[in-house]
Amino acid sequence: MGIEGQYPLLFLIWLAPFAGAIVIWALGPKLKSWSGPIGCAAIGVSFVATLASWADAVRSGPAGATTVVGAHQTMVTWIKGFALGLLWDPLTLVWTLIITGVGFLIHFYSMGYMHGDRGYPRFFAYMNFFVFAMLTLVLADNFVVLLVGWGLVGLASFFLIGFWFERPSAVAAATKAFVMNVVGDVGILFAIFILVAVVGSVSFADAFAGVQAHAYNGQLLFIACAALFVGCAAKSAQVPLHSWLPDAMEGPTPVSALIHAATMVTAGVYLIARCWPMWQGSADARELVGVIGGLTALLGAILGIGQWDIKRILAYSTMSQIGYMIMGVGVGAYDGGVLHFFTHAFFKAQLFLTAGIVIHALHNEQDVRRMGGLRAREPFAFWSMLVATLSICGFPPLAGFFSKDAVVYETLVKGHPVLYAIGVLTAGITAYYMFRMVFITFFGTYRGEIDPSSLGIRHPELAGTSAGLLKHPHDEAAPHEEHAPAWLMTAPVAVLFVGTIFAGFLDLGGTNSFWYGLLQPVFGATIAPVEGAAPFSELASSALVFIVVLAGIGLAYLRYGSTAALRDSVARLRNESIRMFPLLTNAFYFDAAIDALFVRPSRAFGTFFGVVVDPLVIDGAVREARVSALWLGHLFRSFQTGLVRAYALTIVFGAAAFIVYYAVVGAH
Amino acid sequence: MLAQPFPLSDYAAILPLTIVATTPLMILLLDLILPKGAPRRDAAVAVGIAGLLLAAYVLVRQYLAHQFAPAFGFGFILGGFSIAFSLIVVAAAIFSLLMVLPQRDDEKVGPSCALMLWSAAGAMLMAGAGDLMTIFLGLEILSLALYCLCGMVLRASPVRLREARESALKYLILSSMASGFMLYGMALLFGATGSVNLAALQAIPAGNPVFAMGCGLFMIGVAFKLGLVPFHVWMPDVFEGAPLPVTAFMSVVTKAGMLAVFARFLYGVLGTDHQALIVPVWIVAGLSMLVGNLAALSQIDMKRLLAYSGIAQLGYIVAALAGTSTLGMRYALFYLGAYTFMNLGAFAVVALISRDQEEDSHLSAFSGLGTRHPLLAAAMAFFLLSLAGLPPTAGFIGKILILASTVAAGYQWLAWLLIAGTAISVYVYIKIVRAMYVPVDLAHIREIRPLSYAPWIAVAVCAVATIALGIYPAALHDVLPRIR
Repeated sequence: MGIEGQYPLLFLIWLAPFAGAIVIWALGPKLKSWSGPIGCAAIGVSFVATLASWADAVRSGPAGATTVVGAHQTMVTWIKGFALGLLWDPLTLVWTLIITGVGFLIHFYSMGYMHGDRGYPRFFAYMNFFVFAMLTLVLADNFVVLLVGWGLVGLASFFLIGFWFERPSAVAAATKAFVMNVVGDVGILFAIFILVAVVGSVSFADAFAGVQAHAYNGQLLFIACAALFVGCAAKSAQVPLHSWLPDAMEGPTPVSALIHAATMVTAGVYLIARCWPMWQGSADARELVGVIGGLTALLGAILGIGQWDIKRILAYSTMSQIGYMIMGVGVGAYDGGVLHFFTHAFFKAQLFLTAGIVIHALHNEQDVRRMGGLRAREPFAFWSMLVATLSICGFPPLAGFFSKDAVVYETLVKGHPVLYAIGVLTAGITAYYMFRMVFITFFGTYRGEIDPSSLGIRHPELAGTSAGLLKHPHDEAAPHEEHAPAWLMTAPVAVLFVGTIFAGFLDLGGTNSFWYGLLQPVFGATIAPVEGAAPFSELASSALVFIVVLAGIGLAYLRYGSTAALRDSVARLRNESIRMFPLLTNAFYFDAAIDALFVRPSRAFGTFFGVVVDPLVIDGAVREARVSALWLGHLFRSFQTGLVRAYALTIVFGAAAFIVYYAVVGAH
Repeated sequence: MLAQPFPLSDYAAILPLTIVATTPLMILLLDLILPKGAPRRDAAVAVGIAGLLLAAYVLVRQYLAHQFAPAFGFGFILGGFSIAFSLIVVAAAIFSLLMVLPQRDDEKVGPSCALMLWSAAGAMLMAGAGDLMTIFLGLEILSLALYCLCGMVLRASPVRLREARESALKYLILSSMASGFMLYGMALLFGATGSVNLAALQAIPAGNPVFAMGCGLFMIGVAFKLGLVPFHVWMPDVFEGAPLPVTAFMSVVTKAGMLAVFARFLYGVLGTDHQALIVPVWIVAGLSMLVGNLAALSQIDMKRLLAYSGIAQLGYIVAALAGTSTLGMRYALFYLGAYTFMNLGAFAVVALISRDQEEDSHLSAFSGLGTRHPLLAAAMAFFLLSLAGLPPTAGFIGKILILASTVAAGYQWLAWLLIAGTAISVYVYIKIVRAMYVPVDLAHIREIRPLSYAPWIAVAVCAVATIALGIYPAALHDVLPRIR
């Protein structure tokens, strides 16, 4: 994979954020407000180097070897036969562009958002470290380094979710995310074991060559894919390992935008796209991933209906959209799945950053019921949110339209009508809950001054961030007049408009499109369009989706946006809060089920060891030993020579056994 | 008239050995000249380390120049094999010398250093031994110096001194007994073949009863020196009684020397044809993994604990040789190298935490170490993780390699014993790690005041090596020599 050679720029891409993290980490207290610009600069360097290396990624190999594309640099031989290196091909390029490009914008935004926070340098150190970890993941040419990156992004995510560690809820959310992600890491580790056993190598090239050479039997390949998918499901918040993602919104909003929307949570999509030959070899694995992805898309969208926290709404929409991507790469529509990742990174980052602007303006209020009427007060946020929402709903000709329709239609082409139906239905629900958020937040009148209980907000203090009762720590440290200039936060969002609106045009033109030309060398014939596989054309499908989306928007308008609804919005919201299905407020009881099935039994097991085995058996043994050692010590002191005799006797017994054995063996 | 019996190149082959064996003369000379006190102590250790470093330099040069040849009529075989073992011995001796400094007894530091070097020279002779005579010569040089060292406690209370002398005497008696078995075995081997040369022993066909019995008695000596169950009984007492630097020295150097002899005998003489003649060694190796770790569970003295853990660790290394494969030899060497760093690193930490200028290896000395000395505790944690075989340390990679080699050689039962032993050992080592990091009331802990910071060098080098080999094992693995 890739043309072997020396590519120093790859190291620059990879290590610049690491250097930034180290510098800010080490000198943070001295750098103070300079750590923001330094963090941005590190990512900026990485982004520029990415652009400069573009040609290397799409360069195809010598004539005849058309499947070889991109660049490959060997770094070290880890153990004999296990060489580790960096891989740079179009797939990596796509991810690196988003990680460093959108990453840079979010870093820039953070200079405004995190302004005045006590942990300002720490924040940028963590963020740079995250970018380094994520680049490790996508630049790896083998499963071992990939797993290292995989683990490190989990660690960075843990740090950043728990960034405000004074809040117990943040610490709990960080722990939950970390534990679930480690479950996924174990899955990948297991897959690596299988690969080493089957092909004797951990490199991607050898693993995929092994598939082509039929080194695996079908069952084993399925198990390897399934083990990999456990990792994907945990990292990309797929059912049933999704429940950490909404909780992860405890982190600062830029973190949610970068890690829990644009990049890290799409690592599962990357892994499946990267390992596409394995998935191509196992129809069962494609079935499994497609179904889980579809379920996640649907479930996330349904749960999105019942949320009141603006960031949790976006979190469930992220989960749902990643469900689309996973479904896409699962059924074999790799280009569509990756395109949806690409466009999603723009509009979801824009949604989160805009939500951040709103939250910031309202002094950390996150409950949409206490917003309302913000259209006049925050026009920029309104237009930004509206465009991004239209994009995520798949409104033509915005970016989300192209990518979502590509994924949805491909499911039909690859012969999964049920998944197609789910995809279309989910698009409608998405339109409904996204516009529900837009209407409640930006239309009507401002409800921030109304008593929370009259809006149906019960126990605001228990809801963590929901009623804004828990302020960000930086509010105590710095009064509000010290807010950073507003353009620090609006400028990056303005840049994101470009991607949110235009990114989809890359896919325009079928096989002549830029996108197809970019990814075709990676995925080969598997993404070639198939004529006549679906009962109707892509245009008809798009029309169908569009109608469903319009229906969703219309329903949201009737319930939340119409003049009648806006007139008595307080009463309506109160009613809805109180009458919300318990199934929705409890997120289908997934947490309760996991708690009952895994957490409580393992905690009981741990308690058993801590309370019974350790003190009684092990410590008990030590205590006994101490007593007996004292006693024996007295005994030994009086029988010193006897002891040596006893030792000698033991040795003689051993020697006798040896002699008997050798006498018998020698006699034969 | 006797002409010069051996060519000059033969003497060049044993140059490192000669350096290590003559350096003590200079140490003893300086001991007479220099004034009492710090200069005398420091000079002894410095000269000793300088000699060892010089020997290491020559060894590396010999390796790079491929000066591989038998010398003294196959009495000493210079090759990648002997050089690798010699380097391990030299490294272990350097680390042990660094641990001598914290003791403050002007009368004994010089002689201790000298004896340690002589003992190391014996082990280096064993590493290159090509016939039974050289093996025995090396073994006795190694052991005689150690008998003295075990009794030479520096700065000791009368009780401590009595313990040390007791340990020396026990070691002398039991070791002599094992030497007796071994010598008798050698005599039988000579009787069966008419030659003491290992190359000549190789020619003997299977099924010779005298040869088999000779092998058996020889193996008893091997198992005793390696401390394999049930020939291990001397180790805990001797390790606990001997001064700390000597215990550290013994835990690696005697093992490395005897392992070299065993491996040469195994690969050079028995080969793959006489597998039946080594089965008892695999059995005792398997027993050692279990018994060593089980016994370590209840230890409260660090030296004694490391003695038992050493029994198990040697079991692992011997298991790597099962099947007599070339890879097995490399893996055994890798693990021996890793064991050198992690074990001596742990000993160096013990040397550093001695309180009130007294040697103190009780486990309670470790409680709260994480708060008092975070760096030292972190290093110790890595040594213990490595001994337990957990990533990201050299011990983990070493154990994986050994598992691979035993399974490939068809000794699944050894692999299972290894896994069982490892599972038990995790508890042994993690308990110490926990003790270091569990919060304690610092007021109740006496401050530690090491007399010298020299062992810090050993701790640092060992910690870096333990982690580096765990992350990037190719560093050592690629340079390991193949043996014929």
